Formats: sequence, structure tokens, C-alpha cells
Amino acid sequence: MLKYSIKRLARSLITLIILITIVFALLRFMPEEGYFNNYEKMSPAQIELGLIKMGLKDPLYVQVGRFIRNLLQGDLGVSYRYRVNSPIARIIAPKIAISAKLGVICMAISLPLGLALGVLMARYKGRFWDRLGNAYIVFIQAVPNAVYFIFIQLYGSTWLKIPMLYNENDWRTLILPTISLALPSISSYAMWLRRYMVDETNKDYIKLARAKGVPNTTIWFRHVFRNAVVPIVNLIPGSLLMTISGSIYTESFYSIPGMGGLLVDVIKRQDNNMVMVLVVLFAAVGIVGLLLGDIAMALVDPRISFTKKEGSR
Amino acid sequence: MLNNGDIILSVKDLHVKFSLRGKVLNAIRGISLDLHKGESLAIVGESGSGKSVFTKNFIGLLDKNGWVDSGEILYYGIDPEHPVDLAKYKTEEQWQHIRGKEVAMVMQDPMTSLNPLKTIGWQIEEALKLHQGLQGEEARKKAVEILSDVGILEPERRAKQYPHEFSGGMRQRVVIAIAMACNPQILICDEPTTALDVTIQAQILQLIRNLKEKYGLTTIYITHDLGVVANVADRIAVMYAGDIVEVGTCEEVFYDPRHPYTWALLSSLPQLGIKGSDLYAIKGTPPNLFNEIRGDAFAPRNPHPLKIDFLYRPPYFDVSPTHKARTWLLDPRAPKVDPPEIISHIRNIRLDTMEQQAKGGEQA
Repeated sequence: MLKYSIKRLARSLITLIILITIVFALLRFMPEEGYFNNYEKMSPAQIELGLIKMGLKDPLYVQVGRFIRNLLQGDLGVSYRYRVNSPIARIIAPKIAISAKLGVICMAISLPLGLALGVLMARYKGRFWDRLGNAYIVFIQAVPNAVYFIFIQLYGSTWLKIPMLYNENDWRTLILPTISLALPSISSYAMWLRRYMVDETNKDYIKLARAKGVPNTTIWFRHVFRNAVVPIVNLIPGSLLMTISGSIYTESFYSIPGMGGLLVDVIKRQDNNMVMVLVVLFAAVGIVGLLLGDIAMALVDPRISFTKKEGSR
Repeated sequence: MLNNGDIILSVKDLHVKFSLRGKVLNAIRGISLDLHKGESLAIVGESGSGKSVFTKNFIGLLDKNGWVDSGEILYYGIDPEHPVDLAKYKTEEQWQHIRGKEVAMVMQDPMTSLNPLKTIGWQIEEALKLHQGLQGEEARKKAVEILSDVGILEPERRAKQYPHEFSGGMRQRVVIAIAMACNPQILICDEPTTALDVTIQAQILQLIRNLKEKYGLTTIYITHDLGVVANVADRIAVMYAGDIVEVGTCEEVFYDPRHPYTWALLSSLPQLGIKGSDLYAIKGTPPNLFNEIRGDAFAPRNPHPLKIDFLYRPPYFDVSPTHKARTWLLDPRAPKVDPPEIISHIRNIRLDTMEQQAKGGEQA
């Protein structure tokens, strides 16, 4: 298990290095103005000098190597245009904190609620709870979230008498964004769990459990739920890590200064260095999320074995 | 062997219906059958004849769209003086007293009938905790004991393993172990060897037979493999279109079959085919059970039907105290119809083997 994790980690690192190189190379094709904040006023000679000074005229592998070395030392470089010459780490750290806070609160609420709804729906398949749940899921998945976000924002702020927009000194302003984020999240947890549970109930081992006289409730929790939750466990670490990337929609709706939309912003502003850092960050989070997901799944499913098969037959 | 005192389960005129696509299917059409304590009964018939559906009524595992329309299933196992009527059981709570404890089941496909995420030991212990009131260390020990009982080597180590670490035959042994952990009176084996290798089949059948002897189980085999039947059954019930058309001891049904369907079924056994001639196949298809069946359900496929077969449903005629068949051929007024040649051929085979056995005995 440990050996496997280390192997997987090494492979993830290689993936990451390849990814950095490719993105790095691609970004060299971007216009040079992305490295200066007053490009329009500079003469060609000044630009040339500036590029050499920043090491951008060095061979590509030297540049990539330097980037990775700096990265390992925790130096993410500075922003050129988004916020002139301020260290990128200092720009994104507070944003990550806000996005992650919102995301984790939302997950802490939607995971139990979503799973509970999923269990309820599978248990009473075709009856009231299932129909109600289905109506909710279809509504959330089919209606663009802008529509119900507006309702939540308008009516939520009137009924609860809380401000519409985010304010970091007022915890109540987190309520509406959390609800907005949690609604779709709950619906997808419920949808998948219901589906996995219904699949499990039709399996032979459930019939055998019933035939050996296991009471219904026990079958539902000890057998059906336990086995259906495995694929969901696989997704949890990834979703948890991905909270740091924030949510474009919710954050702009409630003007939350989080990570959502930052990547789009810096691309628009052609801040090449920040694009690079954000791509690496999101890619790393994605890769680690997958890795942790697989390890988490292996912990709950004995069929997934990381060691070589012994002659068990 | 067949006095009424030792009846454990008595089915009386059982009708089971299913609602399918808005129509009603008559899956079981008035079966009556007594099951005696300690015997082993084989139910044979082709796919869709209702073998499984019939026995699922004894354990309350009928699919949700099916129901007992009328009839009784009297179970004498709890109190011989006051049988309970399983046909009246509706709720899961009621069935909880029957499932496992009184009637257990071994299912067809061992590859899928174990929970993949729980150890073998855990799955046996679950049954032990429910039905034998064992806990903790006691249950663990008992589970290991049962595993070794069903012929699994190194039971201590194997109990800690998961189903995917077992082969098909070994898993079927585990499924049987789980059934035994329930300590049941009746064991239903629903095609227990169909999904297994031929080489493993005999071992599994032998195992079930040994356990039956050891614990005095009453066993019901559901199968369409007559070879299996010949090996394990005391009595055979032949099912056709949701009805038992003939029932008798193994000897009687094999060597003195009376119902035209039994004739046809035996004639299509490849082992009994006569060298050089084509294998026999029953013509036509079973009747559509969505429709009301008039007369003898087999009449349309019967090569020599009587007129009355199409008009009235035959009652059971007794051939011997243990042998009865639902066919008008047994009515005193019926013309004499001889069974097909191949059936008399079976008798010859039997005589041959008996002679050989006698010879073998002499040589030894």
C-alpha cells in the first residue's frame, strides 16, 4: 500500500513536470506584452533588455528548470500585470483561504444531506420521497443556476434580513452563497448515491442476505449503503481539494474575493506568470485529488489490491 | 417413510400470480405437494415452468409484482400441532422468523451471491449472530468450524479473506456454509451447480448430501439437469407450465413415468439417446401463462393427445401411494397409449447396469 502510494506519487510528479513544460512552452507563444505593465510606451531596445533581464531569452530548458527550482523553494514569482510586481503567493493566498472556507463549509453541509437524500430515495424508490427527490434533482440540474441564484439572493436577503453581498466581517453573509453552492452539490450526491444503491439492491448477494434472514434496515445500511458509497468515497478527496479553485458563478454573484474566475482574469490581462502558476496549481490539485481518491477507495474496498496477487485460488 | 406425521411443509392448491406490463400472469396454477421431514425432493422442468417461483414462496422472496392468489403453505417445522400458513405472510417482520432460521437457500451463481466487501468469516458470522445467538469470539470460532465442515482447507486463514480470493466452487461452499450457519430445517438449492465446472458439480452435490445426512435437513433441489436429480433426489416433482404434472420417487419417475411430458423430458436426455438416431426435442413452446389454460397444458405439444386433454384439466391419478400424475391417460376409460420406445429403453439400461453391478460384485 505504502509502496504503491509512493510509486503513484512519483508518477504524479512526472506528470506534473511534463505538464509544466508544455504549458511553459505554450506560453512563450503569447505576446511579449504580458511581461510588462507599460509595454505600449517602451522602445524595442528596452523590451529586448527587459526580456533578457528576466531570463526569457535563455534556452527553454533553462527557463523551465529555473521555474521548477523556484517553485520548490516556494517562490511563485511576481505578477506582471494583474497586480504589478507583487508576489503571486501573496495575491492568491487570501483568495484560496476564502474559496476553501466557503467550499469546505458547503461540502460539510451537502455531503451528509446529499447522502441522506440518496438513501431515502433508494429506500423508497418510486414512492413519495423518491419522487420529491427526483423533482428536486431535475429542477436543479435543468434550470440554469443563475435563475435560482437570483431567487436565493433576493428572497434570502429579504426574508433573513441579511446583506446581499459578502462581507468578511459578517459571517451571516456566508449563508446565501453556501446555500447557492450546496443546492447543486446535494442534488448530485443524492443522484449518484441513489443510482448506486438501486444497482446494489438488485444484486444476488442482497438476495442471499435477505434469504439468510438479515432484517431489512440492516440490509440497507450494512450491505447496500456500505457498498454503494465506495465510488462516492473516490470522489471526495478531489472535490475537497478542488474547493480552493472557487466557484466563478457564486463568487461573482455575491462579490466574494475568492479564486473563482481568477484564471480567466489573468488570461484576459495576459499576465503570463500568473497564468503559469495557476495552471500548475490547479493541475497539481487535480492530480493529488485523483491519487488520494484512489487511496481512499482502496481503504474501503478490499478488491482493490496494490500488491501483486498471491496464488489464492 | 411417507406417513403423514412427518410432513414438514404442505402446499395446498397454491396459485401465484404476477402483474407484468399491466397483464396478469398465472405463474403457479394450483400446486399441491407435501414435503416430508428429512427427504430430498427435486423439482425439474424447463425454464419458465415456475420451479423457482414455487419455492420462493417458502422463503418470502417472491418479486414485488408477484403475490399468492389463493392456497395454503402450511409449515409444521415450528410446532407440528399448529402449522403456520406461509401463504398469509405479508410483512418482512413475519418472514424474519422463517428466513434462514427455518428455510435457507443456496442460489445459482456463487460468483455474485457473496458481498464483495465483507470477509467470508464476517458473512458467516452475520448468520450465526442472527440465528444461533453467538457473539464475538464464539461466533468467530463457529464460523471457522462451519468452513471446515463444508470442506474449505485452512479455514482460519480463509475466514479472513474476501470473496474475490475464492474460486467459483469454493464460493459455492461458502454460500452453503452461510446457509448451514442459519441452522435451517429446509434447504432450498436453486440450481446449485449450474454455474459451476462439471468437475466441481459432483463435489458440491456430494457436500450438500453429506450435510443433509449429518443435520437431518430437508432439501429441495431446483434443476433442469436430470443427471443431478438422479444423483441426489429421493423424490422428483416434474413441473410444466406452473403445475406439477407428475411426482413420485426417483425410481418411479425415471423408470415408470406416466405423464406424456415426463416421457418427452426423459426422451430428450442425451445420455439416453440411441446411437445413430437423432436426439429427441420437444416440439413447440410452453403455453403463454398470460392466457387461461384449458385442459392439459401439455396437450398442444403432445404427439398423441386425447380429445379430452383439450377440454378438461386432468386431476391427479394415483399410480402408487407415492406416485401420482396429472394425465387423462391414467383414467380407466382412457385408451391404452404406450410410452415412446426410448422410455422402455431406459428400463433396459437399468437392467443392464444392474446386471453389470451384479457381475462386478461377483468379481470383487
